[in-house]
Amino acid sequence: MEYANLRRQAASLKRSLFDQGYLDEQFCQVEDLQDEASPNFAEEVVSLFFKDSARLVTNIEQAMEKYPKDFNRWDAHMQQLRGSCFSIGASKMNNECTSFRNSCGEENAEGCRRTFQKVKREHAILRQKLESYFQLLRQAGPARAATRPGSM
Amino acid sequence: MAAMGGNQRQMMEDAAEDKFPEGLRVLAVDDDRVCLKVLEVLLRHCKYQPTMVMDAKKALKILRAGKEQFDLVLTDVRMPDMDGFQLLELIGLEMDLPVIMLSVDCDKKAVMKGINHGACDYLMKPVHTNELKTYGSMFKVGEDPKQ
Repeated sequence: MEYANLRRQAASLKRSLFDQGYLDEQFCQVEDLQDEASPNFAEEVVSLFFKDSARLVTNIEQAMEKYPKDFNRWDAHMQQLRGSCFSIGASKMNNECTSFRNSCGEENAEGCRRTFQKVKREHAILRQKLESYFQLLRQAGPARAATRPGSM
Repeated sequence: MAAMGGNQRQMMEDAAEDKFPEGLRVLAVDDDRVCLKVLEVLLRHCKYQPTMVMDAKKALKILRAGKEQFDLVLTDVRMPDMDGFQLLELIGLEMDLPVIMLSVDCDKKAVMKGINHGACDYLMKPVHTNELKTYGSMFKVGEDPKQ
């Protein structure tokens, strides 16, 4: 069946996102919060995350330009981004955010610039992968929330 | 369970019900929309009644107005404008409400600051349902939170 195949693909994509460390258990918790009242809750949260995080990334970029070496300010902005990452289980991206904060702590401007590029990269990759995942789910049709990786 | 006397079983059933009383009125404060959205659904799944606000000043306004009663306040630590610690202090001074801090960091100094300023607990994000459920039994509707 076409739909079963699409669901399998979605499950497989999700498994690989976990295996490769893009997502962690928190993402499962968000999906588990889906119910009949909010069947698309996970997609809504993720969509909101990318909207807000794009804005935060821009804020950080502007802060780095406008306030050179203002590590406290840069760090404060990145703290915000980290908070959102935690909420959806964006693990890899979160790690890069932490690296950035470490560079801020060391007052290492070059380190900050490097890690910030990584944050942006992980942000873009995760967005693309999760868009694919939710697209597969949408095509697979309404209904049951996706199962956890490894579970029946 | 079968070996228990009727009274004991009744007590355990009562206790199980008490554990997750419905309707705990929670005011949650966080400037992050994503955190707030997830937290709201978590709280509803605990059968609580959540009110979500994005800044501390608005939270204070609601609390001071007194039109709505709350049993518990959950607040993010780091917020622009007024942060969680300031909100905690003002709530402690003006009203008798338990406050729980939420943070992405478990910085020891911050935790101590929270506890010293009167926070009932300090949770790390992301928060889980089972952590939130325990508050239902601690801060039951109508009970004195300071007991």
